[in-house]
Amino acid sequence: MLDRRNIRLILLATLAVSAVLLIVFGPTFLGRFSLNVLTRSMIYAMLAITVDLLWGYTGVLTFGQAAFFGIGAYATAMVLTHLGSSPAFFALALVVAILVPLIFGLAVGWLSFYHGSTPLYATVISLVVPIVVTQMVFSGGVWTGSSSGLVGYETLPLGLAGYFRLTGVCLAIFAVLAIVFVRSDAGRLLAAVRDNEARVAYLGMNPARLKIALTAVLAGVCGLAGFLFANASGVVAPENTGFVFGTELVVWTALGGRGTIVGPLFGAIGIDYLSANLSGDLPFLWQLIIGGLFVVMIILLPGGLASLVTRFLKVGGGETKLSATPMRPFDKRADDASLLSIRKLGKSYGALSVLKGIDLEIRAGELVSLVGPNGAGKTTLMRCLSDGREQVEGEVHILGRNIAGCTPQDIVALGVGRKFQVASIFDSMSIGECLKMARFSHQRPSPARSLAEIALPAPTVEILQLTGMAGMLDKPVSLLSHGQRQALELAMVVALQPRVILLDEPTAGLTKTERMTIGTILKRLTDEMGFAAILVEHDLDFVREISSRIVVLHQGKLVLDGTVEEVVNSETVRTIYSGGAHG
Amino acid sequence: MKHRIIALALASTAFATVAYAEDPIKIGVPVGLSGANSVVAPSVVQAAELAVEEINANGGVLGRQLQLEIADDASGAAGAQKAFDALVFQKEVNVVISMETSAARNAGLPIISKGDVPYIYTSFYEGKSCNTNLFVNAWVPEQQVPPVVDNFVNKQGAKKFFLIGSDYSFGRGMLTFAKDYITKTGAEVVGEDYLPMDGSDWTAIISKVKSSGADAIITSTAGGAPNVTLTKQLRSAGINVPYGNLAVDEGTAKSMGAEAKDIFLSASYVTGIDSAENKSFLTAMEEKFGKDMRTPNDLSVPQYEAIYLYKAAVEKAGSTDTAGVVEALPSVSFKGPRGEISMSKQHHAPLTMYLGQVKDDGSVAVVDSFKDVDPGDQCPNL
Amino acid sequence: MTLILDILSTAAILFIVSAGLLAIFGVLKIINFAHGAWLTIGAYCAVVVAGLGINPWCALPLAFVVGAALGGLTEHFIVRPLYRRPLDAILATWGLGIVIGQLITLWFGRDVQFTPALLAGAVTAFDVTYSLYRLFAIVAALILGLGFAFLLDGTRLGLSARAVIMNETLARALGIDTEKVRLATFMSGTGLAALAGVLLAPLTSVDPNMGVAWLTGAFMLVMVAGSSFGALAAACLVFGAAQVLISIYFSPVVGGMAVAVLCAVTLRIRPKGFARA
Repeated sequence: MLDRRNIRLILLATLAVSAVLLIVFGPTFLGRFSLNVLTRSMIYAMLAITVDLLWGYTGVLTFGQAAFFGIGAYATAMVLTHLGSSPAFFALALVVAILVPLIFGLAVGWLSFYHGSTPLYATVISLVVPIVVTQMVFSGGVWTGSSSGLVGYETLPLGLAGYFRLTGVCLAIFAVLAIVFVRSDAGRLLAAVRDNEARVAYLGMNPARLKIALTAVLAGVCGLAGFLFANASGVVAPENTGFVFGTELVVWTALGGRGTIVGPLFGAIGIDYLSANLSGDLPFLWQLIIGGLFVVMIILLPGGLASLVTRFLKVGGGETKLSATPMRPFDKRADDASLLSIRKLGKSYGALSVLKGIDLEIRAGELVSLVGPNGAGKTTLMRCLSDGREQVEGEVHILGRNIAGCTPQDIVALGVGRKFQVASIFDSMSIGECLKMARFSHQRPSPARSLAEIALPAPTVEILQLTGMAGMLDKPVSLLSHGQRQALELAMVVALQPRVILLDEPTAGLTKTERMTIGTILKRLTDEMGFAAILVEHDLDFVREISSRIVVLHQGKLVLDGTVEEVVNSETVRTIYSGGAHG
Repeated sequence: MKHRIIALALASTAFATVAYAEDPIKIGVPVGLSGANSVVAPSVVQAAELAVEEINANGGVLGRQLQLEIADDASGAAGAQKAFDALVFQKEVNVVISMETSAARNAGLPIISKGDVPYIYTSFYEGKSCNTNLFVNAWVPEQQVPPVVDNFVNKQGAKKFFLIGSDYSFGRGMLTFAKDYITKTGAEVVGEDYLPMDGSDWTAIISKVKSSGADAIITSTAGGAPNVTLTKQLRSAGINVPYGNLAVDEGTAKSMGAEAKDIFLSASYVTGIDSAENKSFLTAMEEKFGKDMRTPNDLSVPQYEAIYLYKAAVEKAGSTDTAGVVEALPSVSFKGPRGEISMSKQHHAPLTMYLGQVKDDGSVAVVDSFKDVDPGDQCPNL
Repeated sequence: MTLILDILSTAAILFIVSAGLLAIFGVLKIINFAHGAWLTIGAYCAVVVAGLGINPWCALPLAFVVGAALGGLTEHFIVRPLYRRPLDAILATWGLGIVIGQLITLWFGRDVQFTPALLAGAVTAFDVTYSLYRLFAIVAALILGLGFAFLLDGTRLGLSARAVIMNETLARALGIDTEKVRLATFMSGTGLAALAGVLLAPLTSVDPNMGVAWLTGAFMLVMVAGSSFGALAAACLVFGAAQVLISIYFSPVVGGMAVAVLCAVTLRIRPKGFARA
């Protein structure tokens, strides 16, 4: 039965076979000029794929891949020119061509991706890097050949056909690895970082580190492409490192189709090959057409040409399954020590004091509701509990550990899960993929395969079953209702198996039934499984039903902390909510 | 029926042979249509077009017409690689004859070797570029630098030289030679600074010139735009010491107008050369190009002569086969606007050099001339 | 003294080139990556005027009008649809820059051209001879800076622009026609860029790709400055000085990248740049 999935596989298989045939037999019928040009185009295609992995999949727009390529090419040429060309030196050149850009990529990554860095800043750095590299080349005098570049060094004795095949093989291997990776579970993490970096951190992973690692590895690949280029062309010039070349790579990727691997591959080869053939005859017209197409494409068809094809190949039907792993309840700690301990916590923004002198202890099994009028500081308190980098007075201890200076992912690792007021999930993924992401901090994802069965803790499975999502794991998140999104986020947080759950208005916008479901689940988690939960809520009926304890916040201060009865019947609460207690 | 087939076969063979004999000889001309050289490239193209037109009008070479294939090398290595690739492998030219920056020439040489075509380089350069297929009919530092330095030291009393150049093989090569020569004359080099080929902001270097107390400047930038920007900025800064420019041609000087006044240059061609060949050359150029004519200069005239030299070599070898042409080139000569030219000394040519000074209308007045200056030992292994 | 004048004139030139980009970034929050192309357009206006034999000063108003007109078209067709996709706006404007560059090449040819200086020669004062044109650049930058200060603080458009810079949604809710403000700002920014191109032309050479070299420097300065012209002036002065000093005492090549590198480092240390917190 020929369904979409099969068509996709068949297409890929055909591509693979034709690629192999072309690589092996190409030299017999392609002329010298074409072989030369295609060798170069294939090297550029490798670079375009690295751009796609960074930009199309991870959302990092980079103009800097040319710099890494140039470093690899220059490293190779410099070794071969100044040191020699024995086989040992070729091996050295290869190693240097991959290592130096890789280290450089680590540095660039460290500079670009840090807490609070914006995507625009990363793009800015990616612009500056090729400029710096080009100027370094210019100031290299005799070592780098400066404006002249390096020419005349010994290259691998492969001949035109040999280089064509070598480059073809490298490109094919890299493309296959890239495609396998982006389809695997680990590869989907890239899309998670692109969709919602904050949530990735709150699932216990370090998005900055992921981006740095990706940049470094891809820089090494660019360096390898540089090695191939230096040998195949015999000339290395400053233009190979420049940012104009870097922007050309982005243009080819955009036109080919970002986020598809195959799109940029063909985009790069197609445009470069056509350009070489046509630019002699219609140089300006050709560039004009490409430039114009590029602008139109960005505005009207951001997915590039490949998106025209993939539109018809969207795989629909669901095949992912769940399996529930039983979860042992957390023991209430023997010495009944608190899981969460807040002492004299204060937070101010300049002269405005949002929180002052908060003291609170929370133990396992408690379901504490945090109530108070708007502006009382509830969400700020949540933030101070989950992100240790906030500047605060006082101390917060989680499971005995002071969290000052800890990143969200560190705190998650301690055993905290946070559910946001607006469901923070991954909008471009399916339900199953979101759930998989939640398990990555516990089980390393496979970089090669996409598991068809997801193992989740029993409580999570229960949430999914109760809300009707257990049978539709392949449904895209973008099609879910508001209530289902909230439930999914809760399921993801619970899948982390945290000891403390922070929930910010979990019932906002839910129907009565949905509210009851959530309430039941939360009670079960705290009563039976030993979780502790802090809940910011406005629905006082809900609060009354499920909480074991209520804490009232007003104008940044903790005014009441007691059992449900105490608080509900208190005079203070009534006055606060009716607005009588200001000043 | 059989007769018809045989007749058809014979006719097509005959046609093919005739067609083959009519196959044009393709001359590849990679030149800097964009980038630093773009100021001078049009004059080079014009010189090439005139030579081809004249030769074709007189029956071509060995009965075949000449055809020019022009490509843009963007005045640099990366562009040259693409241009040479296209000319040698796609258009399959029989010979490459062109004026280019040293960066472009160096990048093109491996392709020349791979494709095995002869390459006549028609631009002055820093010397010592050697390849069995490479021939040069323009000057090298041994021919060009001494007249300028000697004049400055002996006639203008210069003692402190500041050297400015474009940072690539030509700029560095020329100034290294100049530095050696200056030191040998007993004068001093108080500064040596470079900008990348496409650089156009000389402010910092100009300030250094002022503070160094130099009483003479020698510059060697890429031909074309850098000359103009440097001169403009030097003049705006009020620097008026003796200024020797090793890389400017008469055409560029003319376009700079008043700012180029008093620049000293040393060239193998100036429009004022008083010879029958030069006069008829200039007349032919004016007739062909009219008001679009670009001033013939030391970068474009060698191009004109090189095409004639190639013609002579092909006729001597009897074919366009590279081996034959390469063997014939050192022994043929051509009497052109610069006199009798022959690339007989290790693939380089002895030349008559002229020391000139730019007048306020941009034309060049000849101050001194030196006949048949030897290029020295450029390629002892050829 | 020469050093001080070098620094001031370099800073002035950087300011003139970046001012247009800042106006657009501050109000529209996007980087116009075709800024270099507008510089080039202005420079070619100067070439055209010189070719026609008219007084070269006429190139200034001509360039402003041409630049603004083109800016209006660009804002409507390219920038507005990409309002919510700032990274894509960078790419689209970069593509536009390529298209403009190719159109210029098709019309004028790709060779390098030169324009006569608006003010030729050198002036001697305080024991130092300095280029009159560079001194004029300092004056021009001051006029520009003061002009913008007046525009922002003293006019209605300026007030609306400041509102949009601070909080566009609120401004719209208060009845300010933000679309018109955005259009007017974009046109002014591009007109200014073309003007800067005219002023640049006599200093260097004119070719279809001249703008690209200035784009990164301007871009980095604008990122450091944020949305304040005062901050831009400060940035130009500080980084311009660095560029000159490094060029003189170290190497002109390294000096050429001083602006870009120092700006990147500044942003890393203080993401708000020079803008007051």
